[in-house]
Amino acid sequence: MQANKPENFTQNVTDALAQPDLKMIIRRTTDKAEAKRSDAIANFPEFEKARAQGQKVKDHTIKHMEHYLAEFEKNALAQGTIVHWASTAEEASKIVLDICREHKAKKVTRSKSMLGEEIGLTHAFDNSEMERIETDLAEHIIQLAGDPPSHIIWPAMHRSREDVVKLFREFHSDPTYSEEITDLVRSARRDLRTKFLTSDIGISGSNFLLADSGSSCTVTNEGNAELTITPPKVHIVTAGIEKLVPSMAHAIPLLRLLTRSATGADITQYITFHNGPKRKNDADGPEECHIVLVDNGRTKMLAEGMEEMLRCIRCGACMNHCVVYKHIGGHAYGSVYPGPMGSVLTPHLQSLEVANKQTHACTMNGRCEDVCPVNIPLPKLLRSLRAQSWEKKYEPLTNRFVVKFFGVLAKRPQLFQLFSSCSLIFMKAFSRNGWIKYMPFTSGWTRNRDLIEPETTTFMHQYKKMKKSESGGS
Amino acid sequence: MSDKNNYTDANQSNTIECLNISEKRVGLFVTCLVNTIRPSVGFASITLLEQAGCTVEVPAAQSCCGQPAFNSGDDEGTRQIAYQVIEQFEEFDYVILPSGSCASMIKNNFIEVFKEQPGWQARAQHLADRTHELLSFLVDVCNFKPNGVELDGTFTYHDSCSGYRSLNVYEQPREMLSTVKGLEHKPLNGHSECCGFGGTFCVKYSDISNAIVSEKVENVVAADADYLLGGDMGCLMNIAGKLNREGNQKITALHTAEVLAGLAPKIIGANDAS
Amino acid sequence: MNKQISDMSREKIFSAIQAAKPTITADAKTIEDEALELLKESEFARPQLMSADATEALMLRIDAGLVIGTTCEKISTLDMLPHSVKQFFNKNALPSELKVQSVEPLNKLNWQGITTDIDIVNDNTVGLCWAEYGVAETGSFVAHSGPEMPILLNFLPLYLIAVIPKSKILHYMDDYALIANEMAKKKQTPRNMCLISGVSGTTDIEGVLVKGAHGPEVLHIIIVEDE
Ligand code: SF4
Repeated sequence: MQANKPENFTQNVTDALAQPDLKMIIRRTTDKAEAKRSDAIANFPEFEKARAQGQKVKDHTIKHMEHYLAEFEKNALAQGTIVHWASTAEEASKIVLDICREHKAKKVTRSKSMLGEEIGLTHAFDNSEMERIETDLAEHIIQLAGDPPSHIIWPAMHRSREDVVKLFREFHSDPTYSEEITDLVRSARRDLRTKFLTSDIGISGSNFLLADSGSSCTVTNEGNAELTITPPKVHIVTAGIEKLVPSMAHAIPLLRLLTRSATGADITQYITFHNGPKRKNDADGPEECHIVLVDNGRTKMLAEGMEEMLRCIRCGACMNHCVVYKHIGGHAYGSVYPGPMGSVLTPHLQSLEVANKQTHACTMNGRCEDVCPVNIPLPKLLRSLRAQSWEKKYEPLTNRFVVKFFGVLAKRPQLFQLFSSCSLIFMKAFSRNGWIKYMPFTSGWTRNRDLIEPETTTFMHQYKKMKKSESGGS
Repeated sequence: MSDKNNYTDANQSNTIECLNISEKRVGLFVTCLVNTIRPSVGFASITLLEQAGCTVEVPAAQSCCGQPAFNSGDDEGTRQIAYQVIEQFEEFDYVILPSGSCASMIKNNFIEVFKEQPGWQARAQHLADRTHELLSFLVDVCNFKPNGVELDGTFTYHDSCSGYRSLNVYEQPREMLSTVKGLEHKPLNGHSECCGFGGTFCVKYSDISNAIVSEKVENVVAADADYLLGGDMGCLMNIAGKLNREGNQKITALHTAEVLAGLAPKIIGANDAS
Repeated sequence: MNKQISDMSREKIFSAIQAAKPTITADAKTIEDEALELLKESEFARPQLMSADATEALMLRIDAGLVIGTTCEKISTLDMLPHSVKQFFNKNALPSELKVQSVEPLNKLNWQGITTDIDIVNDNTVGLCWAEYGVAETGSFVAHSGPEMPILLNFLPLYLIAVIPKSKILHYMDDYALIANEMAKKKQTPRNMCLISGVSGTTDIEGVLVKGAHGPEVLHIIIVEDE
């Protein structure tokens, strides 16, 4: 499946809505996620307070970003980690590939990280002489299928069991002929086991970076991160600079929020803090450890009043609860990050010019903000991006005209009332049996639904008449 | 209600004020949809506010709350509208709107566009502090209990997004409707899920909106009630318009205020006639 | 070449942060105090434990089925461990083969009748790990990498037994994190600190939970009252 482009959003949406089983495919994941999250929160009555603490930790770190980045760097170096900095996605993936080439790597195992996708690592490897092996089961599936991810937590949610059966039979060295999900997972286990153990380089992302120790933290249910990182000689971490927190004790409240919001679990099975290369007599572990700290638009967000977005812990709750995502799915957004968080992030990672349509594809119902574990005001941020689009005139001319026209009326109440009365006459002319099925200038509405026939005159008209007759009568 | 995060309402202390509410002047902002499409909601609002003991005035020079401009990112356009709304309404003790989304626009968003104009921002804040959505105002501030209203049948309730999430409108309409004789509540699956209206969204992304409202309609039909009630004309028009397009004429959409003011029989009668 | 890019980017990133409004420069002490303020007891919201006693809470949590693929038992002395391990073999119909972490307390035990130095790369083997800590909140055990602790021991076998001394069972994850913060201060952080709460699982195919995705499918926790 070819990756969609963000600038083709309107077309992507049309394509998505035309897929007959898309809704079923999305719901089997998001419905479960919604239900499990709400159970998890019901079992944790102090969730609100936890959320406040999580937000404070993130805000504190963002406010002192400079200090904590410097601390992190110092402590990571002291652990023996080699620290790299990248301003852009291209720089970041070039640094990673060059490290691999220096080590003459042939096989590279990777543990899922959205940042890796963001900086284009997957493509960079596919265009290189090296073999990339995705070890997260979902990433493994979409790698075999050649798909982009459709969700940040369940990137292969769009693939059915039947799809997986086909893919595994085609690509696995010792495939199963069963169609049972358990057997499919075993097939992947067998296939990946040798790859883990013979990989030259292990690449991971990081859910948290601890400034006081220079640690990076991975959070998984499969345990694939540790299996990716431990056997190879070299470990490379790629992480966005917003992943920082002061210490492990500061990360714990965020972990409590992350797992509950993402999958509804109290905790994931594996949380590991990685602190540089193997110590002198260690039984196992990589001999060399690199970390690439990536900006790619994050400092721009800081500069442009979008710092609240840097709190994001990538839990995916906002998309699981988004009515728009639930109908169009992740691929329509044309970005690594779909849903509400993606609509805010993509304009900064790519550009507002290519990704402004997504910011309008939102009803402003506020559900995403309600469920966000770190209280990110997503609707407010989306709206401020719309304001930027308006300023920069990215909006189609017709939309601008309609809004302007309405605005001109709205600020002149007399004219507004006159226009309202006139439009009633117009609407009346198109009504049949209490409903309007079609009317010029309202096709956006009547294309999919009927318009209720209005009363004969406006409220204001009737009200004035009533007042007049009241005072006449007294 | 599991994902609500602000249970505390900024206007909790209003119980004290409700003792002498009759001395307070209430300005009614009918909103543009009520003005053009459904005037009866405006009259129902006046009736209810008066029953609750308020002195109601309807400033003649009113238009729109500015949401289309605001949600399109047109800050300057929003300001132009806001100047005018503030000037019209700031003198009232209370400003009441029969719509959660328009009330929330004035309460939460006007201050956003005046970030660089502290004077206007203060006036916007002053207006925001006294602005309320009708149904929550009647219960939370006026302690109002409808009396002697009758309507036979069953209803299901759609909680519109701004009312539910930004203004904590949930219990109040249900509480008032429970006093209506002959009327029985039927739960709506996904009662607080967006209906896909979203103002300009429903015309800009008509097809996404359609997918969303189709699902809402499925749930409304499954609730198997005679009436679909809500507190926002936008959502009601959207859901009712989709119901009608799908050929479902069994369910009548009404604004809660219309029912509480006893206007429902008249509206239903008129519908039947047409 | 890349060093140059990296240095330039570092400078760019730091100056962009300095220029941005929401960030402020403060001295390290002020920042540290502010950070400590966030860890004040009153700030914390923690889930309720199933018992005030940490060991009991941990066991209750596992018994309630809240820790995926995990069972537990308590033994009074360490020398009972080989017996418990044998029972585990029987229960799971496994050959008596065990990869024991080479750590003092375990080395001293009498493993008679059990092959103890096996290759863990292949499945159907059992690993035995001596945990540093236990955490009641999440039903976890904590492993630290070191000369005697190959991290892969916790990930390669399909069956895993973790032994936790009762005295090392903490109430909350935060209790462990504060210990980790102290280690960081003393620059004594091990390479890996793994908080393991259940077995390797995935829901990536149609949302169905499958245990034993890459690592263990079965985890048995044995708590030793008196080491
Ligand atoms: S924006 Fe909030 S809800 Fe969405 S992924 Fe980020 S943290 Fe989670």
